[in-house]
Amino acid sequence: MEKTTIYGIGIFLLIVIGGYFLIGSSENINENVVDSGNSGDFQKVTIGMKNYNYYPNIINVEAGKTVRLSLDSSVSGCFRDFTIRELGIRKYLRTPSDYVEFTPTKPGTYRFACSMGMGTGTLIVE
Amino acid sequence: MSFKEFIKELNGNKVEGELLKTIVISLITSFLTLGILYYFKLSSIDNFIPKYGFFIFLAILSYAIILPSIRQVRAYKEFLCMAGMMVGMTIGMMTGFLAGFYVGATNGMFWGSVFGMIVGIVLGVWNGKYCGIMGLMEGLMAGFMGGIMGAMTAVMMYNDNLKIAGVISFIICGTILFGLNYMIYQETKNVERKNKEDYWFTILMSFVLTVATIWLMVLGPRSVLFQ
Repeated sequence: MEKTTIYGIGIFLLIVIGGYFLIGSSENINENVVDSGNSGDFQKVTIGMKNYNYYPNIINVEAGKTVRLSLDSSVSGCFRDFTIRELGIRKYLRTPSDYVEFTPTKPGTYRFACSMGMGTGTLIVE
Repeated sequence: MSFKEFIKELNGNKVEGELLKTIVISLITSFLTLGILYYFKLSSIDNFIPKYGFFIFLAILSYAIILPSIRQVRAYKEFLCMAGMMVGMTIGMMTGFLAGFYVGATNGMFWGSVFGMIVGIVLGVWNGKYCGIMGLMEGLMAGFMGGIMGAMTAVMMYNDNLKIAGVISFIICGTILFGLNYMIYQETKNVERKNKEDYWFTILMSFVLTVATIWLMVLGPRSVLFQ
C-alpha cells in the first residue's frame, strides 16, 4: 500500500472521530440575549432597516418610562447586535420577537449603533 | 513539471513525501492535547463541547494544514524574492485569517483580531524571512490584515450562517495552502534540501497553537457583546 493511501486513511479517520466528538452534540452558538425583567407599562419601539442604516434612526422616548425596543425582520447582520453605549446597553436581538428593555432616567440625546458601528441613530430622551 | 509529478512526490523521499505524515502527527497531537485538557479541566465547564467544540475542531484541522507548509518552507530555507514573498503572504494571511475567525466567533472582534494578528504575523514573518526583508515585510502585513479580516468576518456572520462560513473559509484556505505546497515544489525543483528535521517541531507547534486557542476561547477575555 502506498504511503499517501495510509496517511490519507489516517487523516480521514482522525477527522471523522474528532468530528464525531466535537461536532456531534453541537448546538447553535447564537444564544438569545433578552432582558425581560420588566413586563409592566412600557413604550414600544420597533426599528427597521433602510438605506443600509437603522430606520427610523431618530427616536423620541419619555424619561422614567420603560422602553421595550425590538428590531424587525428587515434588520440583518451585525445590525442585530444593538448597543447604546452611554446607557450601557448591548444586546443581541436575534429575531424580531427578541427585545431589550431599559428605563432611561436622564433626559438627553444618546447615540445607538450596531456592535460594529456600521448603523447608527439617535435616541432622544425627553 | 506537472501537477501529477507533485502528487507522485507525496509518496517520495523528498520533503513533499512528509507532508501527509505531518498532518497526521499534528492531528494526533492536537486531539490528544484536547483530550487531556478536557479530562483534567474542560469537562467541568458547562456546555463546553456544544459551545466551543465546532470551532476548536476547525482550529485543530486548520493547524494541521498550516504546519506541513511550514515544514516544507523550513526544509529549503532559501527562496527567490517572489517565491519568498508568496510564502510569507500566504502563510501570514491564511493563519491570521483562520485563527482570527475562530477566536472572533467565540470571543468577539477585539480578541479575535489580536490572536489572529499575533499568530499570522509570527508565522508570516518567520516563514517570509527566508527570502529576506521583502518576505518578512509581506508576512508582517499579511498577518496583520488576515487577523483583523478573520475576526471581522466572524463577527459580521454572527447572526448569519457562521458555522457554514467557517467551513467554507477552511476549505478555501486549505486549497490555497495546498497550492502553496505545489508552488514551493515547483520553485525548489533543482534545489537541495537544506534542513532535515524530525517531527518534534510539528508536535510542539500543534501543542502550543491548540493550547493557546482553547485557553483563549474558553478561559480568555471576551468583548462585551460575547459575555
